[in-house]
Amino acid sequence: MPTSDKIMARRSDKGYFGPYGGRYVPEVLRSAIEEIEEAFFEEIADPSFNAELERIRSEFIGRPTPLLYASNASKLLGGADLYIKMEGLAHTGAHKINNAVGQALLAKRMGKRRIIAETGAGQHGVATAAACAKLGIECVVYMGAIDVDRQQPNVATMELFGAKVVPVYSGSKTLKDAINEAFRDWAESFSNTFYLIGSALGPSPYPDMVRVFQSVIGRETKAQLAERGVTPEVLVACVGGGSNAIGFFEPFLDDETPRLVGVEAGGIGQGKGEHASRMTGNGARTGIVHGYKSRFLLDDDGQVAETHSISAGLDYPGIGPELASLGRSGRIEFRRATDTEALEALTFLAKTEGVVFALESAHAASAALSLARSLQPEKAVVVNMSGRGDKDLFITAPLLRPKEWKDFLERELVAMNVSQGAKK
Amino acid sequence: MSVERIPLMAHLVAGYPDASGCRAAARGLVEGGATYLEVQIPFSDPSADGPTIRDACSSALEKGSSVKESLALVADLHATYPEIPVFVMTYASLVFAPGIVTFVDAAAKAGAAGLIVPDLPFDADEGLAQACVAASEKIPGAICSIPVAAPSMKPIRLAAMIALGRPYIYAALRAGITGAATEINADTKMFLSAVNKGGSKIFGGFGIRSGAQARAVAPYVHAVVAGSVFVETVSAVVLAQSPESKTASARSLQIRNEAIRRAVYKKAKEIIAG
Ligand SMILES: Cc1ncc(COP(=O)(O)O)c(C=O)c1O
Repeated sequence: MPTSDKIMARRSDKGYFGPYGGRYVPEVLRSAIEEIEEAFFEEIADPSFNAELERIRSEFIGRPTPLLYASNASKLLGGADLYIKMEGLAHTGAHKINNAVGQALLAKRMGKRRIIAETGAGQHGVATAAACAKLGIECVVYMGAIDVDRQQPNVATMELFGAKVVPVYSGSKTLKDAINEAFRDWAESFSNTFYLIGSALGPSPYPDMVRVFQSVIGRETKAQLAERGVTPEVLVACVGGGSNAIGFFEPFLDDETPRLVGVEAGGIGQGKGEHASRMTGNGARTGIVHGYKSRFLLDDDGQVAETHSISAGLDYPGIGPELASLGRSGRIEFRRATDTEALEALTFLAKTEGVVFALESAHAASAALSLARSLQPEKAVVVNMSGRGDKDLFITAPLLRPKEWKDFLERELVAMNVSQGAKK
Repeated sequence: MSVERIPLMAHLVAGYPDASGCRAAARGLVEGGATYLEVQIPFSDPSADGPTIRDACSSALEKGSSVKESLALVADLHATYPEIPVFVMTYASLVFAPGIVTFVDAAAKAGAAGLIVPDLPFDADEGLAQACVAASEKIPGAICSIPVAAPSMKPIRLAAMIALGRPYIYAALRAGITGAATEINADTKMFLSAVNKGGSKIFGGFGIRSGAQARAVAPYVHAVVAGSVFVETVSAVVLAQSPESKTASARSLQIRNEAIRRAVYKKAKEIIAG
């Protein structure tokens, strides 16, 4: 495993990545953020921190996650070889746990008794709740009321881990509002509370922290490819806030190859509120929201716009500042995949490879499939399956087999009523 | 004590509960004795605001309130109450989106006396202060940028803020967000004394809800700021409206606005009396 020096070879320039990044927070929060910054750079240079993190990674997360050669899909596509980094096999089902345990461990070593987090789909909330249960820290997760309604399985899991899930009724009642609420909590509670942000965004040093904790994905992938003597032509990851993408790409950023492709949510169209494409199309502009400067979907006044994606993890209106900067410089190419394209890629890889992608990751899969199709057979395309699709059953099943699913739910409801009646 | 009235900067949310109700509230505040007005331009994601102001902002936005209308309100208030300086508070996104200079020029043109943007830190303000200086050269009646100090600031940073020598500093009296009541204790007073060292005029607020609190803060500040308490007062009147009057005939709107004016007037008087 690489040393911590190597991990920190890359770092923002005083919190900025090119024109993006920064620390645009009210003064009240500044010293709390500076405290985290100091502790973070100290701890990641500390062998005992890294040893503990390494142990949690192997015992708890289940790292390394495998790199799968998608032999059947590759054959059918008739182009380049397709490889899948099986990040969804990590504990709690997505890459989010890498960052959650990293920051939670940092919080614990800082002596913080309480962790707060925001969550959209619930993956980051579940990961944080699990990390807090394991490390013995109180956990409060803010979640938009709409997300609470549509992601009940994740709410149940967070509560099972002992976390308190607080529904957020303000604004659009989704992820961005959960972030606002977490900031409100933190402005009062920072003396004993750590705000554990779930993607490569927010005020500096969060983008640096999240990249460092997620870069384990890319380091493993690089080693696994080298072991097999494979030189990748292109790496593909989906981009919500950007944490799985930056972690996957990190060890390759300073090299000229492979090509790095980030895939955004194309939703149902290019109209207002129909997508979450911040780097492709012309709906986005530079703005300052949630403590950092980047590309955001905003209206002319600067109000944060509504978004849409079939995947709850890709519908955030902003993008991490480092990714925005790498998109601007051209090191990362951005593409988009629509709801339908993501669903098609998901079903194709389920049938050919026996692997169910999370809907977020399926956006990356869609782009990876078309890249593989268009490239020469001796080339290799590697896609990060940032999460597995179990969590999306309540979204995919009604789309893929509506009648059977409806019947199932109705039977379940009847059975539940019967058993509750019997208890009374 | 408190024969002397306490200088008050009274805060309201532009477009809340609507254009005319908001003007009625402003009138109540001025007649109640406010020395300054602070108009908040509603933003979709007001993460430094507590529930009262947060909800007032989303309500205003739902009714279609825009930055243009908010600045029209500022211009209106400036024209109606020329003796009352009007300050504008909002978030970085709205200031940055049209371009900082464009925004500042528009605010100056509307007659704003100053801008308070809590998520544009004084040492990374994207040119806000500079744009204010430039605008006040073009348009008489100086607009300035007002940094926000907080008790959790490190002394060295607070010293740097004070050293800017700005006309005003806004001192947030406690950690947290707007709304919840603030206890004015020895630490608060020490913080205010520290902010006062540089000679900037201090607006002190966050959680001021009563005359007693205002009186405790007043000796340390140029003016006491109260916001959520007035927004709450407006909300209470709106909520108390009978459902049929919400169908907003011109007459019922007039009655409601008069109720808003009176309630806000009473509250302002109460705080100013100390
Ligand atoms: C499985 C999965 N992939 C990707 C994302 C998007 O986040 P990011 O861009 O930070 O990786 C999420 C967010 O919830 C997710 O759950």
